[in-house]
Amino acid sequence: MAHALREKAAVSGIGETAYTRGTTKSGLALQLEASLKAIADAGLSPRDIDGVVPYFPGAGIAEDFIANLGLPDLTLSLFVPMGGATCVAAMQSAAMAVATGVCRNVLISVGRTGYSGARVSTRLQQFPQFALAAEFEAPIGMFAPAQLYAQGARRHMELYGTTARHFAEVAVTTRRHAILNGNVVMNKPLTVEEHHASRMISDPFRLFDCSLESDGGAAIVISAADRARDLKKPLVTIMGVAEGHPESPASIAQRPDLLDFGLVKAASRGYDMAGAGPKDIDVAEIYDCFTFTVLRQLEILGFCKTGEGGPFVMDGRIGLGGELPINTHGGLLSQGHVVGLNHVIELTRQLRREAGKAQVKDAEVGLVTGYGDMGDGSLAILRRAA
Amino acid sequence: MTTAPQPAPPPERPMPAPTRESQPYWDGLREGRLMLQHCASCGKVRHYPRPVCPHCFSMESEFKPASLTGKLHTWTVCHHPFNFFFKAQAPYIVALVDMEAGVRINAPLRGVEASQLKIGQPVKLQFEPVTKDVTLPYFAIA
Repeated sequence: MAHALREKAAVSGIGETAYTRGTTKSGLALQLEASLKAIADAGLSPRDIDGVVPYFPGAGIAEDFIANLGLPDLTLSLFVPMGGATCVAAMQSAAMAVATGVCRNVLISVGRTGYSGARVSTRLQQFPQFALAAEFEAPIGMFAPAQLYAQGARRHMELYGTTARHFAEVAVTTRRHAILNGNVVMNKPLTVEEHHASRMISDPFRLFDCSLESDGGAAIVISAADRARDLKKPLVTIMGVAEGHPESPASIAQRPDLLDFGLVKAASRGYDMAGAGPKDIDVAEIYDCFTFTVLRQLEILGFCKTGEGGPFVMDGRIGLGGELPINTHGGLLSQGHVVGLNHVIELTRQLRREAGKAQVKDAEVGLVTGYGDMGDGSLAILRRAA
Repeated sequence: MTTAPQPAPPPERPMPAPTRESQPYWDGLREGRLMLQHCASCGKVRHYPRPVCPHCFSMESEFKPASLTGKLHTWTVCHHPFNFFFKAQAPYIVALVDMEAGVRINAPLRGVEASQLKIGQPVKLQFEPVTKDVTLPYFAIA
């Protein structure tokens, strides 16, 4: 029997601000600007929003949405504190809310001044999920994600022969896609040589293996699929969605297998709910806080075996026109860092066939992931149902 | 009224804020011992310290001294100082080590070049007092 949530919810609206380095707007203003765009894109009025899931810790909270958007009767206010896995995991909560009738339209939104405000790396230690890292790892010189995730990347290289050349392929391909998008922070071509020459941040991660600190806002609206059919854009349904929490969730150091992200648990549940598998995926937007994180998620998702993520990304396979185009908008590496809500927006555009020069021809089914904090994971599989 | 510009304070080392659960671990380091938390009911070791044994759910535990030897699980070399305190030390190796006692310790690895490192290499925990109250761990090649 099909899962009770399969295709009961849809991504009905998408909106984003300009992605920049430098802004005079507040994080809240960016979040609300993107929210208004997403609501208009869905063909709705702000009065139709009855559930909100703002990124936390972030700019706006439910009170801000009621005060600014005049929401008449908010029936659900949630935080999903999973770092970069938040946005896609929030889609599961939102799908549950609209499928059960608790809500009609749930707004998921992010607003960040990650460049012009407090830098992301300096804020992290204030998150409760980072308390163990703050106590045991910050004093010995490890606190930023670039450092904490680097040890897993190094182990993958030592065990499987993964190389900087493989990492570079992700960075260079993503940049090529970004240039086609237009609304991106990084709009100049990047070569493998430039990647290899960029300064070392935390070995094996070089500068161009790391995602951007940028300013911007993004938002989506999740509506019941039967209602969304009447809205103005092609219907994009949520076939499957899942979140996963790894063992030792607040400390990578103590995890039995450093390479077991929460996505290991989420992937099979997400595929099962969708009734789909890796072979059905036409385009994938993979959370790319670091190049290596993309390689490892492709393995976990079953596009290749563990240890084969490096060779898998080579030879144009992940580029537009390749077997599995990924991060067709430029991702967190080149477009902007709105904790992956831009990945959901891009996948929706692809399935609506609104992706412009980066359009994957005849895209029917796509996949998007989130990865965050100390390895939390999430994925959603979306389908063009129009 | 004008305010004279203040010189930036020197960067401070991030220091641990021990909890009621973790205090014995930090006390142990200060005394030159690696003290690890064991379940008083099923005997299993756990790190980092926490109130409940995830195997048998007992809330009783005791700290016992552990062997200082272990094997290299993986490492990173930190070049960019995300905290300016570490700028003078960069680049520095941080090793994640499988301790003989069955837990991992993450700590700087000194006296060796990163190019020489291999998974499984034997290392030994050392102690570096940084204040009168706080001693931090680091590793040396065994």
